Amino acid sequence: MSDQRNVTTKQIGKYQVSVIREKCISAASCVAIAGGVFELDEEGIARVISQEGNDDETKLLAAQSCPTAAIEVIDTETGVQVWPIESE
Amino acid sequence: MLYSWQMNPELNPPKQFTAKFEEKIEFNDKFAEYHFELTEPHEIGFKSGQYVSIQIDDAGHRRSYSITSSPATQHGIELLIDRSPGGIGSQYLDNLKFGDSIRGIGPMGQFVLAGKGEEALVFIATGSGIAPMRSMILDLLQVRQDQREIVLYWGMRNANDLFWLDEFQGLVEQLPNFHFYPTLSQPHPEWTLSTGRVTDLVLAHEFRPATGFYLCGRANMIQDVSKILTEKGVSPTNIHVEKFF
Repeated sequence: MSDQRNVTTKQIGKYQVSVIREKCISAASCVAIAGGVFELDEEGIARVISQEGNDDETKLLAAQSCPTAAIEVIDTETGVQVWPIESE
Repeated sequence: MLYSWQMNPELNPPKQFTAKFEEKIEFNDKFAEYHFELTEPHEIGFKSGQYVSIQIDDAGHRRSYSITSSPATQHGIELLIDRSPGGIGSQYLDNLKFGDSIRGIGPMGQFVLAGKGEEALVFIATGSGIAPMRSMILDLLQVRQDQREIVLYWGMRNANDLFWLDEFQGLVEQLPNFHFYPTLSQPHPEWTLSTGRVTDLVLAHEFRPATGFYLCGRANMIQDVSKILTEKGVSPTNIHVEKFF
């Protein structure tokens, strides 16, 4: 009898975030907004703990709320950096 | 005791909100105070020292501003705006008309008053770094009626840049536990109070053990004052900082 459990790998979103450590000032807005994706490390600098902890909209809002634009957001489907806007 | 980078579980999670532009007080060419009334939701529960992020265009750009008003008033927020950089945030706010709606998210930030254990409180600000401290001082003195010794050092370049002086001086006259030391780095000859940088005052003054220090302003001030305090024997856990940028 086959295993009836339907185990799948779930892709929650297409946005991949990363933190530029040198820009982070420990404002923690990313952690407050997207606590499933970001945390502060032992030095108070933001780091990514999971790409799937929050949805794309929340990840983008966390990046846009960073006072120093220390979070980059890449659309993995197109390869385009959606935040900060690349023309800036 | 929480280190500043440990997330404080007592803080409310941020929420998206809309608010109506109600009032603007222009202090001088550089600084203005903006008042907003919450419209959706109708209240924002924040701790003194926290900030909000305001959306300033449809592309998603946002700017963060400390809440300057007392947390006892939850139906609205007051923000201090430094217009001197002339950036997109201050341009957006300058163009607001009374009654216009803004969209924001908040409250956010870890720069809040520590729990019990600090026997005196010292606030050290430069420039618009005074913004979160006004909220904290109003919270302590007017809401909590805190009896601890509370000292505020505020460094500015010249007297024309100052504001809220009457309010802080009024608190000094009413409350024996509150002390206020504005200091100017480029004073006019008629300025009779402190001159020099806030770091000079911190270096010269003595502080009682178990004092909590709250620093807000430019990174170099925070670095210099933190170094002085550490050399005076202050524990890093008693130094709380909010860097402006």
